[in-house]
Amino acid sequence: MGNINLWDAELNKEYTVENIFLENPISRRLEALGINEGTPVCVLTRKKSGALIVKIRGTRLALGKHITSNIEIKEVTK
Amino acid sequence: MREHPNGFHVAFVGNPNCGKTTLFNAITGARLKVANWPGVTVEKKEGTVEFEDEKLILIDTPGIYSLSTYTIEEKVTRNCILDDDIEVIVNVVDASSLERNLYLTLQLLELGKPIVMALNMMDVVEERGMEIDMHRLPEMLCDIPIVPVSAIKKRGLDILLHAIIHHKEAVTLGEVFSYSDDLEDKIKKLEVIMGAKYPNHSSARWHAIKLLEDDEEVSEEHPVDVSRIVDKSYSRQIIQAKYSYIDDIIKECLFNKSAKEAGTDRIDAILTHPVFGVPCFLIIMALVFLLTFTLGDWIKGFLEIFLEWLQQVVSTLFDSAHVAVWLKGLVVDGIIAGVGGILTFLPNIIILFIALAVLEDSGYMARVAYVMDGIMGKLGLSGKAFLPMILGFGCTVPAVMATRALETPKDRRRTMLITPFMSCSARLPIYVLFSGLFFGKWAAVVSFSMYVLGILVALATAFVANLFDKKKNKNNLLIELPEYKRPNLRSIRIYVWNKVKDYLTKAGTTIFIASIIVWFALNVGPKGFVLEPVYSFAAIAAKVIAPVLKPCGLNMWEVVVALFAGVSAKEVVVTSFTVLFSNAVNGASLYDSIKSVYPSFSAANALALMVFCLLYTPCLATIATIRKESESIKFTLLSILFQIGVAFAMSALVFNIARLFVG
Repeated sequence: MGNINLWDAELNKEYTVENIFLENPISRRLEALGINEGTPVCVLTRKKSGALIVKIRGTRLALGKHITSNIEIKEVTK
Repeated sequence: MREHPNGFHVAFVGNPNCGKTTLFNAITGARLKVANWPGVTVEKKEGTVEFEDEKLILIDTPGIYSLSTYTIEEKVTRNCILDDDIEVIVNVVDASSLERNLYLTLQLLELGKPIVMALNMMDVVEERGMEIDMHRLPEMLCDIPIVPVSAIKKRGLDILLHAIIHHKEAVTLGEVFSYSDDLEDKIKKLEVIMGAKYPNHSSARWHAIKLLEDDEEVSEEHPVDVSRIVDKSYSRQIIQAKYSYIDDIIKECLFNKSAKEAGTDRIDAILTHPVFGVPCFLIIMALVFLLTFTLGDWIKGFLEIFLEWLQQVVSTLFDSAHVAVWLKGLVVDGIIAGVGGILTFLPNIIILFIALAVLEDSGYMARVAYVMDGIMGKLGLSGKAFLPMILGFGCTVPAVMATRALETPKDRRRTMLITPFMSCSARLPIYVLFSGLFFGKWAAVVSFSMYVLGILVALATAFVANLFDKKKNKNNLLIELPEYKRPNLRSIRIYVWNKVKDYLTKAGTTIFIASIIVWFALNVGPKGFVLEPVYSFAAIAAKVIAPVLKPCGLNMWEVVVALFAGVSAKEVVVTSFTVLFSNAVNGASLYDSIKSVYPSFSAANALALMVFCLLYTPCLATIATIRKESESIKFTLLSILFQIGVAFAMSALVFNIARLFVG
C-alpha cells in the first residue's frame, strides 16, 4: 500500500506511477507520453490551482488538477 | 503534389519542439513558405531541394507524440505519412530527450516505410556530458541509418540528404521488437486477415497493431471482421511493451543521463513560481509593449518625415506634368497617404513580432499555459487556451488556428470567441495614431491600456460563458515544457521577416485596394466627381447610420465610413481617416483637420473610437478563419454580432466616463 495521489506528492522526491484513473482520450495521451505503471516521476513545482510541473522520462510536463488528482503514485524505497 | 514529376517525397516527422522545422528551414533555405509557431504548426508545409542530381520534395509536418488520432495535428501528420506518395520518412529526434522521442520512432518503424533518423541537438547532448552509443542504437532500431545533425549550426545536413537518397529503396523490416507471445500471435493472425482482404496493402503489421489498439480510423478505412481476435483494446499492453523496449534501448545506448540540466530548473524556479509566476508574466508582457510603443514610435517619426517629403515631391512632379487633378488626388491623398501611412507603423510591428518570436523561441511560451492555468481555470478554460490569446497580439488568424491545440470543441469555440478581443498588430496603428493625436505624453499608456482592456473583455466573456455552462470543464491541462534555450537569431529572423512580408503584402493588396475604393466612395457622388466628400455616396450612406453611434460619441459619418472600411483590414481605419481628412498625413495637421470639422471631437471621443476598434468585428480574414475552424456559419455570425454589441456597449461606457474628466 502507501499509494498517494500525484497531486499530494512531495516536491523533488522520486515516485513511481502505480495507477491511472482517467477517462479514455486523456489516459491514452498520457500513456503515449510514457506515463505508465512503473514510470518514475518527480514533481518540480506545484500551484494552488492544482497544476503541477512533473519531470517524467527526461522531459517536463505541466499537468492540470483533474489529471494530477487521478494518478496514483508510490514512493521509491531505496 | 504532382507538379514535380521527378522529385520524390520526403516527410519530416517528429515530436513537437524537436527542431523539425529548424532542420527543415536549414535544408530548404529561403524556400520556406510559412513561418512557424513552434508546437503550433497546424498544417504541413512543402519545400524542395536538389542534391546529387535528385530532386527532393520535403514536407514538414506538425509535431506529434504518437500516431494515434486524438488531436488534429496527429491526424494531419498521420494522413500525410500514410499517403503512398511519401517515399522516405525522416524521423527527427531530439537526442537530448531520446527516451520520449523513441516512442514515435518505434511506431514509425512498424509502418515498414524507409526511415532515416536525424538525431538532432547532438550539441546539447555533448554540452550536458551525455553520450550515445551510435553503434548499438541503429542495431536496436532495425539498422536504419542514424545521422547526427545540428539544425541550428547546420551540421550534418549533406550526410542526411545523402542518406535519404540512398535509403529510399530500402524497406525497413516491420518488426523492430517482439511483443508478448500472445500479442504476436494475434498480430500474425490479423496480418493474414488483412493480407487476404487487402492484398495490395503496405505496412500490414502496423495496421494489425492498430486494430489491436482498437484504432477507430484504421477499422473504418479497412473494415474487417476481427472481433474473434480483438476481444478488447490491447492499447495499454502495446504502449507498455514499446516503453519497456525503450527502457532497454536507453540502458544500452545512453550514458551519463541527466548529468546536468539544472539551468532550466533554475529559471523555472522563478518564472513558474507559484506566487511570482503571474507577476513575472505581466512584467514581461508590459516590457514587450513598452518597447513596441516607445522605441517603435521614435523610429516611426523618421518614416513620417520621409513620407511627407515623398508626398510633396510627387505632388510637385504631378503639377509640373499637368496630370489631372483627380488623379493627383487619388495618388497623393489616396494611395500615398493611405498605404504609405500604414507603412510608417512597420517599426512598431517589427518590434512586437521580434518580442513574440523571442518569447516563443526561448521556450517561455509553454510556461505561460502553466502560469495562467489557475486564472484560466476559474474561467472554465485550460491554461493552454491562453496561448492562442497571446498569439492574438500578433495576428488573430494564426491565433484562431492555434485553438486546434485545445482538446475539446467546446474549449475551441470559446477560445475562438474571445481571441479576437486580444488586440492584434493591425489595430496597433489605430491606437498609435489617435493616442498620439489626443493624449500627448500619455500616448504610450493609452495604447497599452487598450491591450489591457482587450484582455479584460476576453476574460470577462469567458467568465460569463462559464457561468451559463452547466457541464463544467475538468482541468485537463497537459503540455510539455521544453528546455529553455537562447533564442536562435535565424529562426527569429525568418519568423519576423515572414510577418513583415505578410504586412507588406497586405499593405500592397487589401489596404491598397481598400484605399482606392474608399477614395472613390468619398469623391464620387450622385452627380459624378464631387468637390467635397460630404456629397459623396459614402457620406450619404454613412450619415444614415451615424446617429446610432451617438451614445459612443462617434455619430460622425466619417467614423462610420472608416469603421466599415476597417472590416477589410483594421489598418484601413487609419488609412480611411487620413484619406477622409486629406492633406493630413502627419499628426498635427490631421488633428487640425479633424478639429476644424468637429470642434467638439475630444480625447473622450478618440478613446471611444479606439475602444470600438479594439472590440468590434474582426477583419474579413479572421472571420473566414473562424468560419473554417468552427465549421459553423451560425457560430461565426453570432460571434460577429456579439463582438459588435460588446464594442458598442464598451465604447459608450468609456465615452461617458471619459467625458466626465475631459469635459
